Amino acid sequence: MGSITLSKVVKRFGEAEVIPPLDLGIRDGEFVVFVGPSGCGKSTLLRMIAGLEDLTEGNIEIGGRDVSHLAPGDRGLAMVFQSYALYPHMTVRENMLFPLEMAKVDARTARDKVARAAEVLNLSAYLERKPGQLSGGQRQRVAIGRAIVREPSAFLFDEPLSNLDAALRVNMRLEIAELHETLGSTMIYVTHDQVEAMTMADRIVVLQAGRIEQVGTPLELYEQPRNEFVAGFIGSPRMNFIRGAEAERLGAPTIGIRPEHIRASRESGLWGGRVSVSEHLGSDTYLHVDTDVGPVNVRTAGEFGVHRGDTVWLNPDENAIHRFDAQGLAL
Amino acid sequence: MIKVTRRALTATLLLGSTALAPMLAPGTAAAQEREVNVLLFSMPSTRGLAALADDFEAETGIKANIDVVGQDVFESRITLSFTGGARDIDVVHTPVIQVQRWVEAGWLEPMTAQIDGLADKDDILSGPLEAYKVSGDYYGMPFFAETGLMAYRKDLLEAAGVGVPETWDEMLEVAKAVDSDDTAAIAMRVAPGQGFNMFVFPMIMRAYGGKFFANYPDDMTPAINSPENLKALNTYITLMNDYGPQGIGNFNFPEVVAALQNGQAAMTVDGTSIVSQAVDPAASKFADQFVLALPPGGPAGRSPAIAVHGLGIPAGSENADAAFEFVKWATSTETLSKLAINEAYPDFTRASVAENPEVQAKYADVQENFLDLRVEALTLALGHYRPLIPTWPEIGAAIGENVNAAVNGLMSPEEALEAAEDEMKSILAY
Amino acid sequence: MTPPRASAAMDRTYRRMLWPASLAVGIFAIAPLLGMLALSFTDFHLVRGWSGKIGIHNFLRLFEDRRFVSSIYIMMALSAFGVLAQVVLGTAIAVGLDKIVGKWRVARGIFVVPFAVPHVAVALIWLSLFTPTLSPINAVFAVFGIEVPALLTTQTGAITAIVIADTWATYPFVMLIVLAALQGISPDLDEAAALDGATRVKAFFRITLPLLYPTLLMVALFRFIETLKHFPLIFVMTSGGPGRATQATNYYAYVQTFQNSNVAYGASIAVFLFLFAAAISFYIAKANARLSDA
Repeated sequence: MGSITLSKVVKRFGEAEVIPPLDLGIRDGEFVVFVGPSGCGKSTLLRMIAGLEDLTEGNIEIGGRDVSHLAPGDRGLAMVFQSYALYPHMTVRENMLFPLEMAKVDARTARDKVARAAEVLNLSAYLERKPGQLSGGQRQRVAIGRAIVREPSAFLFDEPLSNLDAALRVNMRLEIAELHETLGSTMIYVTHDQVEAMTMADRIVVLQAGRIEQVGTPLELYEQPRNEFVAGFIGSPRMNFIRGAEAERLGAPTIGIRPEHIRASRESGLWGGRVSVSEHLGSDTYLHVDTDVGPVNVRTAGEFGVHRGDTVWLNPDENAIHRFDAQGLAL
Repeated sequence: MIKVTRRALTATLLLGSTALAPMLAPGTAAAQEREVNVLLFSMPSTRGLAALADDFEAETGIKANIDVVGQDVFESRITLSFTGGARDIDVVHTPVIQVQRWVEAGWLEPMTAQIDGLADKDDILSGPLEAYKVSGDYYGMPFFAETGLMAYRKDLLEAAGVGVPETWDEMLEVAKAVDSDDTAAIAMRVAPGQGFNMFVFPMIMRAYGGKFFANYPDDMTPAINSPENLKALNTYITLMNDYGPQGIGNFNFPEVVAALQNGQAAMTVDGTSIVSQAVDPAASKFADQFVLALPPGGPAGRSPAIAVHGLGIPAGSENADAAFEFVKWATSTETLSKLAINEAYPDFTRASVAENPEVQAKYADVQENFLDLRVEALTLALGHYRPLIPTWPEIGAAIGENVNAAVNGLMSPEEALEAAEDEMKSILAY
Repeated sequence: MTPPRASAAMDRTYRRMLWPASLAVGIFAIAPLLGMLALSFTDFHLVRGWSGKIGIHNFLRLFEDRRFVSSIYIMMALSAFGVLAQVVLGTAIAVGLDKIVGKWRVARGIFVVPFAVPHVAVALIWLSLFTPTLSPINAVFAVFGIEVPALLTTQTGAITAIVIADTWATYPFVMLIVLAALQGISPDLDEAAALDGATRVKAFFRITLPLLYPTLLMVALFRFIETLKHFPLIFVMTSGGPGRATQATNYYAYVQTFQNSNVAYGASIAVFLFLFAAAISFYIAKANARLSDA
């Protein structure tokens, strides 16, 4: 069905190897997020699965069928683009009918499918409008609608929320997550935003320079990052890294400690330092502290009444310290 | 109140009609003393004349600004200059074909006194000169007189066992015998225009006794729709369609020349400017096989075509003296001899040029009797070969278009001449 | 009351920038147009002058003049087939070139070359190509014993020949504008169509082409108005022949004005042409507004 297997997939543009040999298995019905900094190859990988980029080497199977050399339209996939890629000269209805017409679905069935999708996506009132007359969120839903009417074996999302404002983004995130619940289809979702990745994914694939750094559930990545890169990339605010004598004292060339795993105190602690910036959000307080072991970020629940220039003491939770070797691999 | 002068009105129109025809801005500003502005349209003789401009300055101290332009540009430009009263041209290229019309419109300055005062006036060929006389006054001096001649390939005629056609009826026989898959028997201009097919077709017309008018210039009743003209048109059509090269129906100057030079046609009847290119060894592969002769005749004798070009002085010229100096120099024996030597055509208009040994040698080299043939053709040519009337450009175009339509089968010869007759009547009645 | 806006000064500056152009249009376009209009109501003749007569006689004569009426048919044939051929060819080449990247982009430069050839030269090139005794096309086919017919000696052929020459010379105009329009269409649309299961051909006809319609309409309008002004190709290639079979209206206006000296009548033909072009432009501009309304 919707399982996707990449075997020894390679992509080269001329001399430049964008994706070194890469293997990845995605189970049927799974919601997988590709995450990584820009230029890490996550979009290229998605486009290779879609058939928009040729494979230099290796092969891709979808539902057990080798699709490496099939045209995009023959792979049984649907894709939602960052730009939405709606056909501007067609109405919402025509946009959603288009893939069905191409698949030669008979007119009555097609109309029904579009009507149902429109209902699910709250678009019924806009079917006769053109994309230019819709808001960003509505356009996004049309793009999703055009994808779901085809009942694809898998959905591909290429940074679909990056053109929306923050509030709408949170809503759409939920809608997509619900859609996944409802449809139960395989979904691959590309983003550079680790919050999106953490909140939506069954499994996250962290990529850097075309390589998979780690694959795992959000909690696995948070709790057991395989290396410094993943540890730094997943989690917000970012993990603190401490090197040198203090790290050695704690048993590794580099240690990492997340801001939420440090307790701040006015009286005493392991590391003393001066507050350089304090952010008071009510629910949390973020402190940036210059200490003897370097700058350390701290997140404390609730209000913690210190300000720039005040002295604080920091107590890391010994059990939450991550230790890395000289190569950056977790010990 | 609408009160517009004719000049202002026309100048406005011409400014506005840039969509109608390509046009150049008027040339240099009003002539200074000791300068003349000369406007010519492009043909070998005028280009040759322009190349000699420095000689004129050396001789007279007058600077000649000679502008040689394409024929369509020329037409727009003089119309603009004459009707707008720009007075920016001191000497203008004046084809005989236009002189009646221009004089009627009051565009030209008479030059009778100056011409009569020339010591060597008698040396000017009288046919071409008299063609510039309108109501007793001269309005131009000829520098070019082209006559109609025939060129034929002696090798092909010999191979076909036929002689040189003396009449157009014989031409039909000869063409039939000579025509082959490799070489068409005859190529003539068919493209519509008073200076294109209407330069050559009247040679056939007049040979059969056909006329444009009942009795030019006394009875100007159109007579194009006559049995003689029908016979001539049928002969022309048969020659072109049955014995001419493929596509002849649109042939103009360059196509005819190329067909002769490349061996695609065995004969032509046209002006010296075309036939002399057939015998030009530098350009023609068959120069040594082509022979020049008088054009065929008919029941009414031979009527070689004639085209005369000259120089006139626009009316109201403020620089008329210097202008006539230029005209005199350009039509002098010396200048015409230089042209006859520098250019490929012996179209000079002074008898004395033919006495020049260098000129004689040059054309004898082409064909021994070339200059004699030309004199003979000039003698035979009718001054009013194409009628000397102001409406000729319009009438010539109308007949030419109908004749072309008949050759290309768009209408029957009878219909074509009927239509031409009707159009002549309405042009003349206007 | 509208409060004064800070941008008002800017608007004034922009308006001032229009003055020189307005002046130029006034002097070089509108004034001559009015002059031509005035002339068209007179009986001005180049040689005979003006009798003082004023009226609509020239316009009445137009519709009794069989040569004028047939010139319109000829003009319409030249324009309709010409514009169609130029738009189809220009668009096809643009679509082909649009996808070409890298060093092959120089192809764009090559395809633009005919646009740089002066009209008279274009006419001379095609005149020789359509003259059987001069044409390499005829020479090549003659080797196989095939006689290519002479186009310029029949009406259909001559119109075809002029359309071909005009198309060759002006498809780059269409091509360049369509190329620019294609660059403005997001490549995502093509990819979306591919994922939606559309073949390249279907994607072109269902997505790309409809998005090009407003551009194509404008470019067709430009070309149409240009083709109404056909002159050099006719003048050089056919002299209006065979017979009068390629005397399009603009050429006929030239014949009347310069050859026949009927300046006033020629002006009335020019006025007719102007009004005709204006009407067509207006209609197409309206259609375009409807199309790009979406």
